[in-house]
Amino acid sequence: MAPEVVVTIVTVSDIFQDEAGRKSRFSDQYRDLSARIFLDKQDLAALGAKDGQRVRVAGELREGETASIVVTAKADEDEAHPGLAFMFSSPWSNQLAIEPASAVGEAAVPAFKSIRATVTVSDENVTGISEIFSRMRG
Amino acid sequence: MEAVTCTGCSLLCNDIEAAVTDEKLFHVKNLCRKGHGHFQAAFSERTVPMIDGQKATIDQAIARAAEILSSAKKPLLYGWSNCTLEAQAAGVRLAEKLGATIDDTSSFCQGILMERILDGRIPTCTLDDVRNYADTSIFWGADPSNSHPRHLSRFSYYPRGEKRQKSYEEERTCIAVDVRRSATAEICSNYYYRVAPGSDEQFIEAVLAVLDGKIPKVADKKKMIELGSILKKTEYGVIFPGLGMVYSLQEKMDLFERLVARLNEITAFKVVPMVGHYNTRGFNELLREKTGFINRVSFSGGAPAHGPEHSVMAAAKSCDAALVIGSDPLFALPFATAKALAKVPLIAIDPRRSLATDAARVVIPSAISGLEAGGTAVRMDGMRVKFEPFLKTDLLTDEQILTKIMEAI
Repeated sequence: MAPEVVVTIVTVSDIFQDEAGRKSRFSDQYRDLSARIFLDKQDLAALGAKDGQRVRVAGELREGETASIVVTAKADEDEAHPGLAFMFSSPWSNQLAIEPASAVGEAAVPAFKSIRATVTVSDENVTGISEIFSRMRG
Repeated sequence: MEAVTCTGCSLLCNDIEAAVTDEKLFHVKNLCRKGHGHFQAAFSERTVPMIDGQKATIDQAIARAAEILSSAKKPLLYGWSNCTLEAQAAGVRLAEKLGATIDDTSSFCQGILMERILDGRIPTCTLDDVRNYADTSIFWGADPSNSHPRHLSRFSYYPRGEKRQKSYEEERTCIAVDVRRSATAEICSNYYYRVAPGSDEQFIEAVLAVLDGKIPKVADKKKMIELGSILKKTEYGVIFPGLGMVYSLQEKMDLFERLVARLNEITAFKVVPMVGHYNTRGFNELLREKTGFINRVSFSGGAPAHGPEHSVMAAAKSCDAALVIGSDPLFALPFATAKALAKVPLIAIDPRRSLATDAARVVIPSAISGLEAGGTAVRMDGMRVKFEPFLKTDLLTDEQILTKIMEAI
């Protein structure tokens, strides 16, 4: 069985990705900057993966409903934080973001900054914006 | 060359120089990278009027939008954060006329904090006050170097203000509280306080403890005591909460309110939420003035009703038509919300191609506010900024489109 690591993904902002998105959210540049996950080096090693390798990131949206995307894994240069991963906010990270339980408290916000996901190495292509759009329409 | 206002984020920088030739920017000054992307967006991927995937005239698209909305039993009007106050006011009037639900991006961003600011429960100040008086700036779950690139240089760290002539060299301390060493945390250097995701509550408890002279229940007690010392010595402090902090605290925002109240027993401490879009605060202020609520309002019963059931995330599942403007919910919201909205008859008013325009039954192109359309907006700190367009266009403004839809209903 292929190694896997369980992570909590925190979405963050990035000025370069933001600029690319403002120019075109349908561009290869925006996809390349958005479809990436920053993993702790220890987690990367546990996967047997290298910086730049593709990984599948899968999460459970609600009971019985899962979602996954293929993105590029990047080694995070920050101090050690195994189990904690980062993605830039985008339709890719939103694929895994869980909505708050319906009509709960005033504060109810989606779990953009606490996405639980399982990461495995993948040889598939990075998920494209057209596929994300098809999923929405499906 | 007249100064132009950038509507790329809620700093609304109004010192931009920009000139255009042959539909390209050939001279810009003072724009950050984010703003540069915003300005360049005027020259690509522009929308055209569409109905059911076919090109139409603007009048036909507006007429079809009016038909869809007037025949809907539970319409949703969503977005607004990238619209002028004038367009937002037209949107609220349209919501009233339709008996619709209206919500904006603050519903899943800074809303819970902004509500407390506008209610006067948390003290605030202007960014000009920050520049002139602040000696301590705390970026909490916020990374302005990436999200609001000129925040530090125009207001919170580098500039020489009226009472801060020695500025960052001697008189200003900037502090970052974050789950990672962000670009802003790098600038804050030794004053970076790492918190585990979701543990802002414990961080506040620790700060309250050191302010009361108690030993904090954290691993690095010395660093926390040092923070307490900085806070106590502060003459004019400002906290800039970002989504990291807001999402972490959520229902426990009262604890943050308590911290700010405690700090103000010692010295002056203000709070300015790091609002993202250029006029989210404007929408919150406007809707509050008209209904008493900053977001999540339904006019279905005539009088405005407010609650989480009227949030975009809930309304996306119950609406039978939606108009989106000033934000792309398919781009920015969780998959389940985006999927629900992609399935209802969607009207997208957008200057540029988006996931929403690709999914929409009706696409109505509009002028880009700030670049092609003038108007008024409210900066993140509550300052009203009026701006004029600097690019010529024949496109209708958001306000004009909404008014025409209303007239057609």
